[in-house]
Amino acid sequence: MKKNNINLMKNPSSEQTNPIHFSAQGIVKKFGGIDALNDVSFELRRGEVMGLVGDNGAGKSTLMKAISGAQLCDSGAFFIDGKEVKIDSPHDASSKGIQIVYQDLALCENLDVTANLFLGNEIRYLDNLKIIPRALRPLNHLSMEEQTKEALRKLKVKTITSMRTKIGFLSGGQRQSIAIARAIKSDSTIVLLDEPTAALGVSQTKEVLELVKSLRETNHAVVLISHNLNNIFEVCDRITIMRQGENIGVFDTINTAPDQIVSYITRGK
Amino acid sequence: MLKNMQEKIGYLRETQLGSFIPVLLALIAIWVYFGIVEPVFLSPRNFYFLFMQSAVVGTLAVGVTLVLLMGDIDLSIATVAGVCAAIVAVLSTNMGVSAPIACLVGLGAGALLGGIMGTVIAYFRVPSFVVTLAGLLGFQGLMMKILGIHGAINVRDPFIRGLTTTTLPDSIGLILAAIGIIIFGLTIWKSRRARNAKNLDNELLYLSIIKFVFFSTLVLTATLILNAYRGVPVTIIILLSITGFLGWLTTSTSYGRAIFAVGGNLESARRVGISIEYMRISAFALVGFMAAVGGIIGASRYASVSFNAFAGGPLLLEAIGAAVIGGTSLFGGRGSVWNAILGALVIGSLGNGLDLAGAQAADKLMFSGAILLIAVTLDALTRGGTSRK
Repeated sequence: MKKNNINLMKNPSSEQTNPIHFSAQGIVKKFGGIDALNDVSFELRRGEVMGLVGDNGAGKSTLMKAISGAQLCDSGAFFIDGKEVKIDSPHDASSKGIQIVYQDLALCENLDVTANLFLGNEIRYLDNLKIIPRALRPLNHLSMEEQTKEALRKLKVKTITSMRTKIGFLSGGQRQSIAIARAIKSDSTIVLLDEPTAALGVSQTKEVLELVKSLRETNHAVVLISHNLNNIFEVCDRITIMRQGENIGVFDTINTAPDQIVSYITRGK
Repeated sequence: MLKNMQEKIGYLRETQLGSFIPVLLALIAIWVYFGIVEPVFLSPRNFYFLFMQSAVVGTLAVGVTLVLLMGDIDLSIATVAGVCAAIVAVLSTNMGVSAPIACLVGLGAGALLGGIMGTVIAYFRVPSFVVTLAGLLGFQGLMMKILGIHGAINVRDPFIRGLTTTTLPDSIGLILAAIGIIIFGLTIWKSRRARNAKNLDNELLYLSIIKFVFFSTLVLTATLILNAYRGVPVTIIILLSITGFLGWLTTSTSYGRAIFAVGGNLESARRVGISIEYMRISAFALVGFMAAVGGIIGASRYASVSFNAFAGGPLLLEAIGAAVIGGTSLFGGRGSVWNAILGALVIGSLGNGLDLAGAQAADKLMFSGAILLIAVTLDALTRGGTSRK
């Protein structure tokens, strides 16, 4: 019945849009006696922003953790471009092009913008000299800085002028931009954003939402988790609603009113 | 108002030059004061001894900076230095092992002891404070055992003694200084050109020039002063080379980035795939190695290894104090090995000057305490810039 629901609500113009890029099917995750995820299916296309909404404890974060490899699920399968893939660890996920931006952003405030963008993945000289351990090869500061500038330019982030500014001196919105820039670097195709606007003021929220829209142009598949329906309606193409560990439906933003979504979130219909 | 000030100081401290300035001002103030009160303080002879006295503290301070950057601490550095010095002394004096080999064994022992403590910290998740405190106690005992009943071993080996008694001829000292200045200038110039070519923002031209002039004056003056007495000591060259290497390691390699990342945000470092365990073990091993270097320099300088010179004295606190006075944060993530040397000079100058002025040990301790308190307070006030809000 759930699956029918999904099919019924499918975007009528889906023939013109991209094919399904990523899907998760039959995901089950139990914590003790509680079904955190009960046979959940979820799909994404490239170039679309998928909103993921639901009350606290509905299973949004658990689903994101399963997709990003942070938490193993009990059963279920993941497919990228129709091929089944295994996601057993965050490393698996990122090597398949899945990146997650956590609510706490995980940036190092004592390092500058460039260092954060390339942390753990620096550009180095002598990278073909295998005798020298990787950690000891000299960093190519200039290339990294140049690429950082380019990455932020693509994302239309204009407020960060020096790539050598320490993250500690940036605003919440700017930090969010850096975290997103880091996620879409390194050939990722799927970006999961966990409450990116939760702690931000009005203008910074706008800034981040613009950024999310621009990810559609770079042909990423984006998942946006948020409690703020205004934000969801502003940037999302489709909305997946979760309730009590189940996916209760996927809706096109254009054909849906916020009231309907609220009703589904709270009452399941 | 206070908040605003804090932010400004914090911002200043984040820049390369800004982190140098407070400790440098402190150093200049101390020199000017003692220069007026005790003119002999500024004599070339006294400067020579000042540099030599600060060498052991400086070596340990440079080492401990590595773990301070990761937000850890090593309380065992002075005792590890003592154990390694004792090993070198026993091997060369009592057993007749050739001195260079004895030194290598000592250095290896230092790295090993540090690595063992690092392993316990990394895998058993015991706070470094506790593990190295246990090390401090345990290694004191170990040092006593190695030194035997007399509690002291004389070191007469010419190689080991030579490490601190040899000075370079004036001409070679000047040539080395010139090479250092040219390399520094070329680095700045090449970096400016490359950044311009790639259209990246450069620091203001006059700042680069100030930096260069400042560095050249410093190096040249120091060389000339040392030449006026005996010449540049080999010890200083060794210390500067090692510090140069560690400075490069911490700022220009992935390893250094990882050190700062672990100190700045452990969880984020873990998520980007940095092995925290590997970082801890290797950093503590490096600190152990530096402690051994300090131990050998100490053995060479005092011509003997005794319990009190290392484990029993104020060496540990002076070394950590030097690192913190140099602007390395006890909270992790901020600091530089170069500043540790400046910090060691501050502590050394203070002790030396107060000695010349005929101050009591009690006064010296209280002065050192006050300087350390000021340094740590400054660190706490400026911690993490705007993020403190």
